[in-house]
Amino acid sequence: MQRNSKPRRQRGCQPIPLPEITSSVKPRNTLQALTSAAMVLPGLLLSPGHAAGQDRVNFQYSRYQEGERNLFGAPNNLKPISADVLHGSGVFSFTDRFKFTFGYTQDTWSGATPVTTTPLATDGGNRPYTVNGVVVGASPLANSQVLLDHDLNPIGRDPITKQLVGGIDTRSVLVMSSASPETRRQANFGLSYEWNEAAMNVGGGFSRERDYQSSFGNIGGRLDFNQKLTSVKFGGGYTSSEIGAILDHDSSPYITKQAYAQQIVRRDGSEILRGDRKDWVANVGLTQVLTKNALIDANVGYTHSSGFLENPYKATSIIFIDPAQLNNSLISGDVRAFIEQRPNIRNQIALNAKYIQYISPFNAAMHLGYRLSVDDWGVNTHTFDASWVQPIGGGWTLTPRIRYYSQDSASFYRPYLFSQQAFSKQEIDSLGRKVWVDQNNLTKQYFGETQFDLVDQNGNAVDFSVNAAPKMTSYDSGKLPDHFSSDHRLAGFGALSGGVILSKTLGKGVALEAGFEYYTRASSMQIGGGGSNSFADFDYYVANAAIKFDIEPATLPPMGTSGGSSESHSHATSHQHHKIPPAGIMFGHMLDKAGDFMAGYRFMYNWTGGNMMHGTQTVNDQTIVDQGCSDIGLCRFVPTFMNMRMHMVDLMYAPTHWLNVMLMPTFMDMDMNLRRLDGAPPPRPGVHEHTGAAGHETGAVGDTYFSSMIKLLDIPGHRVHANLGFSAPTGKVDIELRRIAKIDGGLIHFGMQLGSGTWDFTPSLTYAGEYNRWSWGTQFSGIKRLEEQNKSGYRLGDQFQATTWGGYDLKHWLTATIRGAYTWQDAIHRDFNKFNARIGPMDFPSNYGGQFFDMGFGVNVRILGGRFAGNQLGLEWLQPIRSDFNGYQLDRQGMLSATWSYEF
Amino acid sequence: MSISPMIKLNIRAIIARCYIFIACIFLTACVSVAPWERGNLAKTQMEIDPYPLQSEMQSHNYSSREAAPSHKSSSGGGGCGCY
Repeated sequence: MQRNSKPRRQRGCQPIPLPEITSSVKPRNTLQALTSAAMVLPGLLLSPGHAAGQDRVNFQYSRYQEGERNLFGAPNNLKPISADVLHGSGVFSFTDRFKFTFGYTQDTWSGATPVTTTPLATDGGNRPYTVNGVVVGASPLANSQVLLDHDLNPIGRDPITKQLVGGIDTRSVLVMSSASPETRRQANFGLSYEWNEAAMNVGGGFSRERDYQSSFGNIGGRLDFNQKLTSVKFGGGYTSSEIGAILDHDSSPYITKQAYAQQIVRRDGSEILRGDRKDWVANVGLTQVLTKNALIDANVGYTHSSGFLENPYKATSIIFIDPAQLNNSLISGDVRAFIEQRPNIRNQIALNAKYIQYISPFNAAMHLGYRLSVDDWGVNTHTFDASWVQPIGGGWTLTPRIRYYSQDSASFYRPYLFSQQAFSKQEIDSLGRKVWVDQNNLTKQYFGETQFDLVDQNGNAVDFSVNAAPKMTSYDSGKLPDHFSSDHRLAGFGALSGGVILSKTLGKGVALEAGFEYYTRASSMQIGGGGSNSFADFDYYVANAAIKFDIEPATLPPMGTSGGSSESHSHATSHQHHKIPPAGIMFGHMLDKAGDFMAGYRFMYNWTGGNMMHGTQTVNDQTIVDQGCSDIGLCRFVPTFMNMRMHMVDLMYAPTHWLNVMLMPTFMDMDMNLRRLDGAPPPRPGVHEHTGAAGHETGAVGDTYFSSMIKLLDIPGHRVHANLGFSAPTGKVDIELRRIAKIDGGLIHFGMQLGSGTWDFTPSLTYAGEYNRWSWGTQFSGIKRLEEQNKSGYRLGDQFQATTWGGYDLKHWLTATIRGAYTWQDAIHRDFNKFNARIGPMDFPSNYGGQFFDMGFGVNVRILGGRFAGNQLGLEWLQPIRSDFNGYQLDRQGMLSATWSYEF
Repeated sequence: MSISPMIKLNIRAIIARCYIFIACIFLTACVSVAPWERGNLAKTQMEIDPYPLQSEMQSHNYSSREAAPSHKSSSGGGGCGCY
């Protein structure tokens, strides 16, 4: 294939050799180099959907942080929304023309989100609450009363006391509710094939959240014309989603959801709103080279969506007004929250155009983009963006970027609505009499103005003692609009954002990238400005960092003559690799040659579940209730399962042959569910009660490990090295559960916090030996917490582990391993210094740690030749054999470790 | 669902733009940039999307906060963005 005719130079060369070509390549190679470079062009320039070129693995972490919403004086102690996103992706070539791509994204978000909008002047909304007489926060109160003047303008109230202050106040306010952390996971896969002047790709994947699951597939292609100066791209995709929204326990009773009665099911005490949605996408595009310094890229896309297009957590406030009051000078409005109702179909058309100009004097590129979209909801949008990609030497590139966005409001968007009827009122019969129902016999009806002058249907007076109650009829939904939403994302607004991207190409095919963006939304920035929803203005920033590894397929024959390439390709086979220890062993091997670099990824999954244990024995519920917690509060809940996953990026470098340095950022995520213990005491007033089908989730950056490994002995067949490592407390230890039922959730359980919160010393000593097909080793490792307590007041227990393993090479590329491990872990010291609900054994420090024996079974694969030479994979399952738990804990089920590494 | 006159107008505008693009194709068919003149075009900074990781993330953020169709809609992807 033509792309491979590009000049290959040093191993790990940068994908684009142009700067050198124009400056430093010897004259006799110049024409050839330029021609080759031109041949590279189509693959880089016109990739249909994903990056072509070299095999590559990327890791990226980003953090999204929103600013506080303006609640116009209402107390706001809720943390704004933040999201932590981990992304990994890769491109691998099966052949020169046939590629496989994959991607994995995991985001965990938490914080305060608007549930509805009301006039500021209601007696509810963000309703302040007090602790010891001091206002510390506000609870969302969806239903409330508002006093209106003759023209339906709200009469102002104090946002704290909710007392009328007189005067008209037409401002609206978001009603905020907080959420405990939730995690979404998405995986996608793709295959692509390239011909000389065409390409095809297919892909698919899925996204999983507790309340939203979708699967998607797509197909696309590209045709090149006119000596590849023109390319036409086309594609189509389909997404099918299932929504199962667990309606908020707290607010659900106050939100009217009549319209969805058929779609709501009850499970484990929760109400679940179900819906399906389908999205079809088609697009066609064109890339055209205009001159040797400019090109344009344009495409048109069409999206058709149908089904449940609502956000099930957003409600619209409808103010019910008794028509009889309309002529009064003051009117009382009954504010009620309804789950929003959007149309079931949406058609969107988007037009994208991008112009890219090379700026010769600066060796920079200017990118200018414009995007127009229109849809049948009335949301027309304009996006302008510009960026300047400026290489600044030494492998650095700086890219400032600016973007402006404006959208019109959806035709059915309103901050809130009025309806001229009562939300609920007493039924009146044909004779104009009020209707009453006998509470002891619901089929009996009485009529009359008050409870004391009732008659039955025959007109006979009824005894005073009868238990009659008004017969109520609710609002007529036919008098409400078919569609309404007060989700501010459907309002008219403008947004301005700007940021920079800084990237640095290191040697050896490693590149770093970091980006920052600040975004501000304002209704006043809308083109042709509505500007009436400034109450929903907000801002956010996103910061991210990425590391990218180019993996050069090792078997391609060195092409061209541009020097020095042949030695590099022997790399993967020429090294005398030592056998690697099982996947569950960390810090288990060293790089041998000064200057070597290793990049890797390690995944660990730790599963606890099954019975509750005390020491080595299972324990019944009543014992846990009585003894698992404390004297002041008995245990009420225990976990049913807990999953912990850790993603770790391994970066290892050998400055000398006897010293290696390592850096390992981690990303953690956990989920657990609880059950009520048999015999648990009833809920105590003022104490967090776990309710409903939903469990708990947390996830974000974990602790960061760094260490140096020192070779102590290296003779044929035997090696010993020491590792002196530290872990930095980058994982959070103050994650809180949301406030529900007017009770603070408090800090989440010790085991669900993402890090240790303390600086830790993590030394280890490893011996490894090998003889023919056999290999073996032993490692002693420990964790010593270097601080007395973390910011939440406690510290995790120290840990010691001894492990020994043996391996046998089944094939020269495949090793089976077996391992035994003993682990001692101390209980947690001290305790939370902030509120924690203490609902079960997992909230007490003494119920952590113990002594554990495990057996590990694993395989290691080292790819020696072929396209993926140099890659190493490991997998190990660690099976608990014996556990002696401190206190009361959920049983261990095992741990899976998987590793991938690549040495440069 | 009925298509409002406003949208009809926009669709017309889009069709007009499509014509312009088609015209562009024919015009630019005459463009000739020889292989040895394509050095600048092959530079990383001239790629249509020089930072795919960044743009993927940005578009996810935008689509969770704005009502325009997802920038990456053709490559699929799900998720509620319910926050």
